[in-house]
Amino acid sequence: MTLQFQPFPPDHVPAELMVDFDFFRIPEGTSDPAEIWHDLVRRGVPDIFYTPHNGGHWVFLDYDDIVEGYRDHSIFSTYQTPIPPIEPFPVVQPQGVDPPEQNVFRRLLAPMFTPIAVRGMVEHLEHRSAELIERFADRGECDFITDYAEKFPTGTFLYLFGLPEERLPEFLALANVFFRSTDPAERASNITEIYAVLDALFREKMASPGDDIASAVVNARDENGQQHKWENILNCGFLLFVAGLDTVTNTMAYIWRYLATTPEARQYFVAVLDDPDAFLRAIEELMRINAVSNLFRRVTHDCEYKGIRFRRNDRVILPNTVANRDPDVFDNPQKIDLDRKVNRHVTFGVGPHRCIGSHLAKREVMVTLQQWLKRIPDFELAPDQPEGSVFGGSVMGFTGLKLRWPVAAK
Amino acid sequence: MKVVVNLELCQGHARCEDICPEVFSTDAVEGKCVIEQPEFPADLEEKVRLAVRNCPEGALRIAKS
Ligand code: HEM
Ligand code: SF4
Repeated sequence: MTLQFQPFPPDHVPAELMVDFDFFRIPEGTSDPAEIWHDLVRRGVPDIFYTPHNGGHWVFLDYDDIVEGYRDHSIFSTYQTPIPPIEPFPVVQPQGVDPPEQNVFRRLLAPMFTPIAVRGMVEHLEHRSAELIERFADRGECDFITDYAEKFPTGTFLYLFGLPEERLPEFLALANVFFRSTDPAERASNITEIYAVLDALFREKMASPGDDIASAVVNARDENGQQHKWENILNCGFLLFVAGLDTVTNTMAYIWRYLATTPEARQYFVAVLDDPDAFLRAIEELMRINAVSNLFRRVTHDCEYKGIRFRRNDRVILPNTVANRDPDVFDNPQKIDLDRKVNRHVTFGVGPHRCIGSHLAKREVMVTLQQWLKRIPDFELAPDQPEGSVFGGSVMGFTGLKLRWPVAAK
Repeated sequence: MKVVVNLELCQGHARCEDICPEVFSTDAVEGKCVIEQPEFPADLEEKVRLAVRNCPEGALRIAKS
């Protein structure tokens, strides 16, 4: 199927729903990239609006509409959704296909990401987290992004895929180009390279399977007892590589930036480390406030939703950060309340594509907090923060976050 | 009182298990909600109600037993 770029402005969009908004553009001096979204709400733009930027797309701002965008795949599909449009785009498994087709890879992966499965990973995560932190704890400073928040989730991917830690630099380099490069030629060759690495890896795991996710995916059988299509296996591996890196890195960056500037929050976390109920509530609040992902959908057919005309192939963005501060759903939504009791945030999405890695992601954050605060209970932002270190897009975040803390003189 | 789950709606967020592990757990295959103790004791009522209100899918409901 080929998709056409939107004509602009499209004639089915009434003028009063047009807003000039580019979700990649972060005005100079902005310290939190999510503010471009909250600014829309402050300006009182319509809850459902259309922007001509990035190929043209809708934006939903109301919690209920965002949830509907996740749930109703008869209108809002995950198939071929990139904004701005990229064609052809890999049909990643299971995120890029709608139910019931989605069920095949979703069910294959599910047992390896359940809370029960993740409990079995805790010891490994603790060990690796402690080891990374100890490399710089005595130094009294680090760049949180490059010294920790990129390395830790990339290491988790190696662990899940049964790869040796020595390959960390190779995968970090691949991920860095994938997430940060804006050069089309470099991007294209990077994707080719990632697929070549995955191809070799899956072949290896077919010949000598291990107790890891790559082996489970490549050796799984479909309902006819056949191996899944090679293309789908690769597209599943690709998704597992990219889905759990930038998201985790930037969630952590947001959290550590907040802790670095909020001594009461650090003390609160130290105090609740041994109180699982309070600790989990505080983690959920950090997840609510620091929702880094803005998800995409594509309209399946010409239709009306809430009295507004949508046309087939229209793109929609669902900004979780906005849903998570909807005053109709959250008491005092702008306040960070680490003891918030009712918190139906959608940071990991809802509905059939609900983040399969959510339990792992939360565990990565919890383990890191525990290991970090034991060694570095007090820290602050270093005065020399890198210039222009925030970015927008489908995942928002930071390219650098320098921290410093007192160390005992030797 | 009794708590019930609609497994068509449940997507395995495990918020219920985190909030009230005495009553909820999740299965090893799909990670969906398992109600260990449908007829929960009165002293757990507050926690069960919180679990219901935190489920992002609205999959939990308290019924008269
Ligand atoms: C804080 C970190 C994370 C955030 C905020 C996040 C967010 C999300 C969201 C919002 C979705 C829904 C996508 C949609 O509806 O189109 C999703 C799906 C997914 N995530 Fe995550 N994610 C995180 C970490 C991870 C990790 C660590 C992994 C695995 C290693 C992972 C793997 C996946 C996969 C495979 C899907 C697709 C599920 C499906 O389509 O059935 N994520 N994630
Ligand atoms: S919180 Fe809701 S969706 Fe999540 S496991 Fe419990 S019942 Fe299911």
